[in-house]
Amino acid sequence: MNDDTNDLETLRRGARVAGFSWSDAELEEIRPMVMAGVRALHALETAPVAEVEPTTYYRTV
Amino acid sequence: MTDLARMIATKAVSPVEVVRAHLDRIAALDRDLRSYITVCDEAALTAARAAEAELMAGGPVGPLHGVPYALKDLYDTAGIRTTGGSRILGDRVPEADATVTRRLAQAGGILLGKLNMVEFAYGPEGLNPHYGHARNPWDRGVHRMAGGSSSGSGVAVAAGLAPGSLGSDTGGSIRIPSSLCGLTGLKPTYGRVSRAGVLPLAWSMDHVGPMTRSAADCALMLRVIAGYDAADASTSVLPVPDYGAALTGDLKGLRVGVLRGFFLDGAAPEVRAAVETAARVLASAGAVIDEVNLEHTQHVGGAGLAIVGSEALAYHAERLRTRAGEFDPDVARRLRAGAYITGVNYVRGQQVRALVRDEVDRALARRDVLLAPSTPIAAPPIDARHVELGDGPSDVRTALVRLNRPFNLSGHPSCSVPCGFTATGLPVGMQLVGRPFDEATVLRAADAWQRLTDFHSRHPVLG
Repeated sequence: MNDDTNDLETLRRGARVAGFSWSDAELEEIRPMVMAGVRALHALETAPVAEVEPTTYYRTV
Repeated sequence: MTDLARMIATKAVSPVEVVRAHLDRIAALDRDLRSYITVCDEAALTAARAAEAELMAGGPVGPLHGVPYALKDLYDTAGIRTTGGSRILGDRVPEADATVTRRLAQAGGILLGKLNMVEFAYGPEGLNPHYGHARNPWDRGVHRMAGGSSSGSGVAVAAGLAPGSLGSDTGGSIRIPSSLCGLTGLKPTYGRVSRAGVLPLAWSMDHVGPMTRSAADCALMLRVIAGYDAADASTSVLPVPDYGAALTGDLKGLRVGVLRGFFLDGAAPEVRAAVETAARVLASAGAVIDEVNLEHTQHVGGAGLAIVGSEALAYHAERLRTRAGEFDPDVARRLRAGAYITGVNYVRGQQVRALVRDEVDRALARRDVLLAPSTPIAAPPIDARHVELGDGPSDVRTALVRLNRPFNLSGHPSCSVPCGFTATGLPVGMQLVGRPFDEATVLRAADAWQRLTDFHSRHPVLG
């Protein structure tokens, strides 16, 4: 999702892509939380991880 | 628990008396405190009578023989309902025990019941609209948060309705209620304790651990539940040490790094002062104190959201499609928000996780433990939505998980211990973070601290 995820149609499409069909009221309820989440997720792009291999499990020994 | 185990083993007290005393206390107080979802009174008394008979017959006994405990209601218990704090699973009765349930029973422990929690462990405040909001026992005037998600575990042990319990910790769910309720709670290393038979919130972040009154009690429970389990591929084959033997009380030369910046400077003034005082007390007992900053904490919130939001939605997706109206509306909203996390976001979260893990490893390369507040605030009122931290305003939910999540991402062991009280009498907690699979040193430090102080042995005044 992009920072302009502020209209219900964008939220509805995103939900459908993920396999959900939610009412306008349900989408309206989550809009502030989704917007805050999108901002936090975008901030991840500034993390210096270009050469970092992602963790799956912590470590198994 | 250690005292009870010894007194029962030496026949100084009967397990039947101990179990009955706890059941009486539950009956007297829990209507108000709301710490239990299910009380196993008849089964517990039957088990206690059997334990007493075994003792009298002189047979071998386990380390928890006749000692009662309780479980957060997401541990499978054969024949006893396991709800996950939900209405959706309100009638779910597992056929088999979780691995840790079985290990506690094999050690001789007696299950008192199943404890209240945030629905499906998805929230740090400790609220539950289905079974009632567990009430923090430290304030009889104001209804304050117990902390979550292991809210019932925090309340039951603090109020003397169970001598010990198991919680689970995905973003602080053991350490937050331990901090707010004045307990000792240990989130072990990821892979130290089996998650088999435990309802998940986020598989790669969930940790199983004890919530008790002291580090010695945590050591006793951890020894019983830790170790490899073929049913959980993430468990380690490393041997389980005798954690009790590690509790020497010796702090001389222990290298303690105080986590500043994001951790200490962001805490409310009373919390910060309590932790700084604790560092001075540890130094006076021989610990070597220095300060350390972690630079990548700014990305912890986003990484936690990406990982927990994705994994939680993946686990609950079908229920959310077919039974959405039965969820706690707040939990349903958080699950739905997970639909907007992309695959790239998830991988970024896992990359940040590696970054944080390596940074904590480096901080511990020249230190034995790290020290930080467990929560930046003491227990807020149940209807609080915003709080003031040392570095500005915050919503309560973010404040509660802020200092815990770094170590769910990194997987390092972390133990919350009481380190003081606010002017209004609320407990303050600090966490000791150790190297992977070095719970022995974490518990040694926590126990030594508790030999120097009495915060862990104070009790809330209840009717």
